[in-house]
Amino acid sequence: MTGERAPAAGEYGPDSPFTLPGFFDALGEGRLLGGECGDCGAVLLPPRFACYACGSRDVTAVEQPHTGTVYTYTQVRRPVPALEPEAPFTVAVVELDSGARLSGRLTVEYEEAEIGMPVELSVREPTEHEREAALACEADWPVHAFEPR
Amino acid sequence: MSDPVIAAVGSSPIGRTELTGRDLFSAAMAEAFEGLPEPAELVDAVYVGNQSEAYEHQIMYGTLLAEWAGLRGVPAERVEGCAAAGALALRHAVRDVRSGEHEAVLAAGVERMTAAGTGGATEALSAATDRALEQRSGLTAPAGYALLAQRYLHEFDATERDLARIAVKNHRNAARNPRAQFQREIDVDTVLESAYVAPPLKLYDSAPVSDGSAAVLVTTPERARQLPGDAVRVTGTGAAANNLAVADREATRMRGAERAAGTAMEEAGIDPSDVDIAEVHDAFTVCEPLIAEAVGFAPRGRGVESALPPGERSEGWTDVHMSTSGGLKARGHPIGATGLLQAIEAYEQLTGRAGDRQVDAETALLMNEGGVSDAVIVGHVLEAGA
Repeated sequence: MTGERAPAAGEYGPDSPFTLPGFFDALGEGRLLGGECGDCGAVLLPPRFACYACGSRDVTAVEQPHTGTVYTYTQVRRPVPALEPEAPFTVAVVELDSGARLSGRLTVEYEEAEIGMPVELSVREPTEHEREAALACEADWPVHAFEPR
Repeated sequence: MSDPVIAAVGSSPIGRTELTGRDLFSAAMAEAFEGLPEPAELVDAVYVGNQSEAYEHQIMYGTLLAEWAGLRGVPAERVEGCAAAGALALRHAVRDVRSGEHEAVLAAGVERMTAAGTGGATEALSAATDRALEQRSGLTAPAGYALLAQRYLHEFDATERDLARIAVKNHRNAARNPRAQFQREIDVDTVLESAYVAPPLKLYDSAPVSDGSAAVLVTTPERARQLPGDAVRVTGTGAAANNLAVADREATRMRGAERAAGTAMEEAGIDPSDVDIAEVHDAFTVCEPLIAEAVGFAPRGRGVESALPPGERSEGWTDVHMSTSGGLKARGHPIGATGLLQAIEAYEQLTGRAGDRQVDAETALLMNEGGVSDAVIVGHVLEAGA
């Protein structure tokens, strides 16, 4: 469970998982990194400068489990214009086995989803429409989703 | 030190319009300053609540509206906190007057949401969700609220029909509010038969896309006594930010709202049971129970009874009247102006100007939030008798 510590002053850069480019680089390699607080144990997604639960700066980037369960979900029927060709689609908040939560697409129809459903994280290239919705700096960042298991 | 007061209020018509943001502001100012001296003779500073430049391709709304009101030269700035921008503007005005920094401050809010069409509004509002993991997963603002509603209905003894009753209650109140966007009553079936926006939330669970502006003059009691018209006291203000991403918060508990309301009520020296009327942020029906529970009006899981008249609710509920204006659902929700429209409703109720919807009220609580529920939330306590 040892991981990378938050960068010191002057060392923040796009290779660090404590920045979004670094976080998404790791995700593209199949590693979902969370920031684990050394003081209170909260897991922060993505890793960051300080813990929102207790304020501590003792945060370490630790690889997260890919399995969890659906905490809540809905169906996006009217997305932003660029994603309209993909609608409707299901989104969920998933609680990972580490206790950390994150939102993401759920790869089942809305009617098949339910709270408590076991799911597993997957990572893919952005679709054509997602690239259209992205800023230039985000266009190559991978997109995660959850599949039933 | 005496409490700041609200000495004058005004709003534009609320709904779809051909007017631009600055025109809507002019309409609000014309009402607020009717019979008063020139704004330039009174106002020392301006705060403008405004959600997004995506609608009109216009930032610098502080400068623009100060200029438009004849206030060139005063400090003026736009305040942003998505739908909480209006109450944040009010809070800045209250704090400036309370501290003695300024004697009179204009808190205004404006949004011309229909300028960019439905797709434009969806795009602009989705910017209030977290870019890194939420927006990139296709989450929209209505879907964010639906995640909360789904969990609320799962955890508690509540149904879509219960949520529908809240929309019906707010339309009933709006039917008696000349400022409201929808001055007509609806029934539960209308809500239940409307299309899903993001299940379990439907079209009639949702506040509309609205154009509108509101203006509120905050000043000292001494200055207010020199002006025509009644004033109401602002006896408490509180604000809190929570996580931006919905996933990182407790879906059915608004810790930010607990804190903001707690601070405002502590400053005012009141308890939740002292509040006669509350204007709360029902961007979607599920917000009303969540806020009622967070501020201490209702036991956890029973806030969904907010549509019932005081006295018919579960034990542990206070006798508060919720959103006599019709709420965001039916009064309308021009994002940056909404927090100030809440203040206008309280002003009218506390000064006996609320016409057919008048209730017996001495104390009001306003709760205005931004960024899918609890991301930033502002509470104000207003009391009659300046």
